[in-house]
Amino acid sequence: MDSITSAASVIAAGLAVGLGAIGPGIGQGTAAGSAVEGIARQPEADGKIRGTLLLSLAFMEALTIYGLVVALVLLFANPFAG
Amino acid sequence: MIDSARLFRAQEPLLATPPLPHNDSASTEAVHGEGEVLPEVAADPAPEAAEAPSDDYLRLQRRLLLATLIVSAIAVLITALAFNLHIAGSLLVGALGGLLYLRLLARSVGKLGNGAKKVGKTQLLVPVVLVLASARLPQLELLPALLGFLLYKPALILQVLLDS
Repeated sequence: MDSITSAASVIAAGLAVGLGAIGPGIGQGTAAGSAVEGIARQPEADGKIRGTLLLSLAFMEALTIYGLVVALVLLFANPFAG
Repeated sequence: MIDSARLFRAQEPLLATPPLPHNDSASTEAVHGEGEVLPEVAADPAPEAAEAPSDDYLRLQRRLLLATLIVSAIAVLITALAFNLHIAGSLLVGALGGLLYLRLLARSVGKLGNGAKKVGKTQLLVPVVLVLASARLPQLELLPALLGFLLYKPALILQVLLDS
């Protein structure tokens, strides 16, 4: 792999993880904070709140995982490496 | 200058009101003039709910894991028939990674509020290990392993559709 390709891959990997984690990070923080607030207000609805939080976090975290996978592929299984 | 005797008389009808039925002896004492004893904080109505995840949540976790297992088994079977065992094995490893990821995520959501203030990030190690293993090991294919890992999503969507 030539130096320009490797440098571009490393920068792209960093951007993929960094930019891809911003949105899900904000969303997860908001969702988890609201869930904790809801559990504190209504402890009897604990199970339903946790269940909804689990489903929404699983959907949100998939976006982070996509960025992570792209970054790891660029770093360890680069398709542009000659 | 404030006339304290008049102020006290003005407050008398308020103080003379009978205590609410849920007031305990300490709060009654505080209202009726001792003034030093503060009312006790009301006890948590369901302390056991805050300590352990409820039955609803455990049932949902079990259903999600079961749905993921069924979807993964069907996908591995179809892949083994349509492609070959090598790709089906990679898909199976990815699906097992997805199951582990879902289990770790459920555990960190279960801990939320019981000491932990934010969702843990341990579960993100699973896709990292999966991609690194597929890059290093020749027995594992990258694309089937990743698709197998993402097989938990159809199970989640199925669960949401069934719930709604």
